[in-house]
Amino acid sequence: MLNNKTKNRLTIFVAISILTIIAIVFIFKTLEDNVLYFYSPSEISKTDEINLNNKIRIGGMVKEGSVKTSEDEIKFIVTDFKKEIIVSFQGTVPALFAEGKGVVAEGKLKDKKFFVAKRILAKHDENYMPPEIKKNLNKNAK
Amino acid sequence: MNLNIFLMNGHGFYVWSSFLLTTLACLFLFLKTRKSLKKLEKEFIKEAKTLTNKEFEDIKKQKVVKAILLSYSKN
Amino acid sequence: MFKFLNPSYVFHLTGKILNFVKIFILPISIIGIIFALFVSPRDYIQGESVRIMYVHVPSAWISLLCFASISFLCILNFLFKIKSASLIYKSLAPIGLVFNFIAIFTGSLWGKPTWGTWWVWDARLTSMLVLMFFYIIFILSYKFIKDDSKALKICTSISVLGLINLIIIKYSVHWWSTLHQQPSINLSGETTVHYSMLIPLSIMLCAFLLYSALIFLMKYRIETIRVKRKRLKKL
Repeated sequence: MLNNKTKNRLTIFVAISILTIIAIVFIFKTLEDNVLYFYSPSEISKTDEINLNNKIRIGGMVKEGSVKTSEDEIKFIVTDFKKEIIVSFQGTVPALFAEGKGVVAEGKLKDKKFFVAKRILAKHDENYMPPEIKKNLNKNAK
Repeated sequence: MNLNIFLMNGHGFYVWSSFLLTTLACLFLFLKTRKSLKKLEKEFIKEAKTLTNKEFEDIKKQKVVKAILLSYSKN
Repeated sequence: MFKFLNPSYVFHLTGKILNFVKIFILPISIIGIIFALFVSPRDYIQGESVRIMYVHVPSAWISLLCFASISFLCILNFLFKIKSASLIYKSLAPIGLVFNFIAIFTGSLWGKPTWGTWWVWDARLTSMLVLMFFYIIFILSYKFIKDDSKALKICTSISVLGLINLIIIKYSVHWWSTLHQQPSINLSGETTVHYSMLIPLSIMLCAFLLYSALIFLMKYRIETIRVKRKRLKKL
């Protein structure tokens, strides 16, 4: 049905496409750590050696009831519901930063349990609804 | 007049500028496309007129050419 | 049936559809903007800044859809030498680029009040930026490479790489940890946007699609006249 020229082009095309896909999969596998925007507390606790001088990002949920604000510092616990890390930060947090919401902190680890943040970003989830609906949902939940 | 409709609790700047940016970008592409379409139609007709009468009658038989001539004469 | 493949019939048809689109585009855009800016409710966490979603999400979708169609047609043209496909993908490329640009910039304007930053190098945002470069290289290569078959080869390579990039964009938020949230609207599965926000979103999507159709048809006419003009010069 196809003439020879078309067949040739098709073969070359398929071969090159497959090679490209394989190459890209390998590239992303090796670069995995750089592609990840942040580590979860579990991933931090799993790694054997951590470089305390490198700037890294950790992310997770702000644990309910863990936010403590003092004069020049805010302290809270980032959790992924398996492991937790205490984060301390000096400065202003984004408006969407709240307990029970997602957060990404950029800074350095003091040790596996303590993190000093230089920058805080709020990570919001994929739920969108008007405030009244949320109130009703909360009422029904109770 | 309720000013908060425009201020949007401090988010007004972000909301308005993103809507403005979208409108401007869309308008830019539209105007640019319309300009080049008109220019091209004009040039095409100019070139067609330099042909001899017989050639001109020949290409006029093609429907596309007819449509181009028609849409140009409308403007 | 076959008259749909006839270029002169298609050209005639573009004119008719163009008039039709011109009637509807302004009212629908205005209704969409009024719904998006004033009628729709604010979000329970994000407040008013959620309104940026109504321009950000449809433009991101259209830019992805455009690139998918461009790649498909370009590969089709490369493999089976369907020349008329090139008219379509050349007409689609500028639309995709503009919407990609809009998606990135409105995303940036959305990120500042919600995340607390204009830009981060996470997988979703970076792959979207890469798509913009693919669009630019694609357009430049068919515009400025005089040798048609060489241009087609380059465009096809960009198409293949771009298609892989599209898959990366789509799944970046699932495969890797990103600052960008997960998709809210899933064709198969749960949609996590309240219906009062889905209404303005779908009106805006309609408006953007109509706008894309408008530009596409005008561009298609431009490309057809270009082809005709080349033949005219050969006379």
